[in-house]
Amino acid sequence: MSGLRRALIALGALALLAGIGSVALILTSDHTTPRGLAAALILTAGWSFAGTGLYAWDRRPGNNIGPLMTAIGFTFFFQGLSSSNNDVVFAIGIIGSSLPYAILVHLLVTFPAGHFESRFQRVVVGAAYLTTTVLQLGWALFIDPTKQSDCGNCPENPILIPGHEGIANAINAVQVLTASFGIASTVAIVYLRWRRSTPAQRRVLTPVVLTGGVAFTILLAQLVLSEAGAPQAVEDGTYIAAIVVFACLPFAFLLGLLRSRIGRAEEITTALSAENEQLNVELQAKVEELRASRARIVEAGYAERRRVERNLHDGAQQRLMALTMNLRLARDKLGDDPAATGELLDEAMDELAAATAELRELARGIHPVLLSERGLRAALGGLAERSPVPVELLATPAERLPAPIEMAAYFVVAEALTNVARYAEAGVATVRVERRNGAVEVEIRDDGIGGAKIDAGTGLRGLEDRVGALEGHFSVRSRAGEGTIVEASIPCE
Amino acid sequence: MSTSVLIVDDHPSFRAGARRMLEASGYSVIGEAADGEAALEAVRDLTPDLVLLDVQLPGIDGFEVAARLQAAGGAPTIVLTSSRDRADFGEALAESPARGFIAKGELSGATLAELAG
Repeated sequence: MSGLRRALIALGALALLAGIGSVALILTSDHTTPRGLAAALILTAGWSFAGTGLYAWDRRPGNNIGPLMTAIGFTFFFQGLSSSNNDVVFAIGIIGSSLPYAILVHLLVTFPAGHFESRFQRVVVGAAYLTTTVLQLGWALFIDPTKQSDCGNCPENPILIPGHEGIANAINAVQVLTASFGIASTVAIVYLRWRRSTPAQRRVLTPVVLTGGVAFTILLAQLVLSEAGAPQAVEDGTYIAAIVVFACLPFAFLLGLLRSRIGRAEEITTALSAENEQLNVELQAKVEELRASRARIVEAGYAERRRVERNLHDGAQQRLMALTMNLRLARDKLGDDPAATGELLDEAMDELAAATAELRELARGIHPVLLSERGLRAALGGLAERSPVPVELLATPAERLPAPIEMAAYFVVAEALTNVARYAEAGVATVRVERRNGAVEVEIRDDGIGGAKIDAGTGLRGLEDRVGALEGHFSVRSRAGEGTIVEASIPCE
Repeated sequence: MSTSVLIVDDHPSFRAGARRMLEASGYSVIGEAADGEAALEAVRDLTPDLVLLDVQLPGIDGFEVAARLQAAGGAPTIVLTSSRDRADFGEALAESPARGFIAKGELSGATLAELAG
């Protein structure tokens, strides 16, 4: 068992004893009437506040609501002390009897969070404590209970400074004023909090607002009636009604507090499901993007095969066809026209050389052997050398990188330089490939006409997909008249 | 009188080679065309006896050219050719109004004469 729980059990036992003691004092009182009813009500109010307060304290140890409710329960028993026939106990009871109302103000103002939200709230609660402690003590110093109409059999006031009833009345007037201020402010604070709360928060506040509202209305009525000099029976009636409602109040707090756990759980669930929804939307978008990218990569593969087939058909194959015809013709002419035969054979050799060159170029487009055998630096050197537009290699990595990264970087540079040669009308292009900050950064810059767009054709989009497949970023900056900058950043630890 | 021929192919190297080969075999090459539209025009203008027609052309392809010539009436003899195999075209060759098909690798005056007469 935790230390806190042991302390709470001890407090519970103490509340039990305090209640029994209060009842004993009330039942043996010479000046409290009607004794049975007063005892029952004080016991109900004191025990219900202390009991529910201790329960709340145990369930929500970090929240001040439990301790405040417990304190209200204990201070309620001061009213039992004021029933004592012993003058000292009676005096202590009189001094402390209004303290529970100040704690109640504190409780209502800070419910359900258990802490202050504004300076005004502190002022209201501070005024309530001032009224029920300092002012109450001041009043007790000058009040002579034996001279009060409703306290005929009351004991003597042991701390009485006699002959200053005017001061007592003045202090009492201030108390009535500050109490009215405190009650009105508390009602306003609780009402405003209830108005601006969410439905889940209202479920927490509603029981307290209803019961507290009724309790404070009765308290205010009691205050007004007692000041207005209403008949004793009416005053007693409101007093009993206040205690009945006060006895219900702690259960309203407890209900609210327990609902706040449920409410909080609901809020967390709502927040989680909203977050979940957001994640789902993002995930769906990512999946769509990946699906589109995958489709483009597959299509790019087919397009590449079509391109290779087309290149073979239009290039090397045609040259080989012409070569075949030339050789056939040369064979036919071999006997009767050696000069024409030699000419045909020369042409055939030229066609063969051209076909070989085209096949070599095509093979390089499918897979750059220089790249896989000697790395990015050598392969980029080859690209720069073959480019019709002068290319300056500003930086290339000396070390070998993972093959997929080398391939991606190479094709970014190759495609970008092809575009420079075809469309940019550039005088020069620069290439920079560097490994830094856990990535390979690729940049191709030209001084051409600009205006390139990723969406315009399949080439740049294909590069974007190729780089994206390696979790990299690809971008093209190409304002008209300001050249083009193609950039790729590929993660590489 | 020698057979007049129109060569239709988008590759100049093939047209040149074919012209030399057919002329060496006694044909009279009266024109060349690089695509389908030009071929239809050339047939109208030159009225050749025989059209050596590549299948894969930019724009309308050889099959379409053959079909249009046939539809126009009074069509010349059409022989389709390609650097691809006969098998690459499946049923399309049989359905075409062309007289026949010669793979480019097998083209000679003799194979053409055998097919077109």
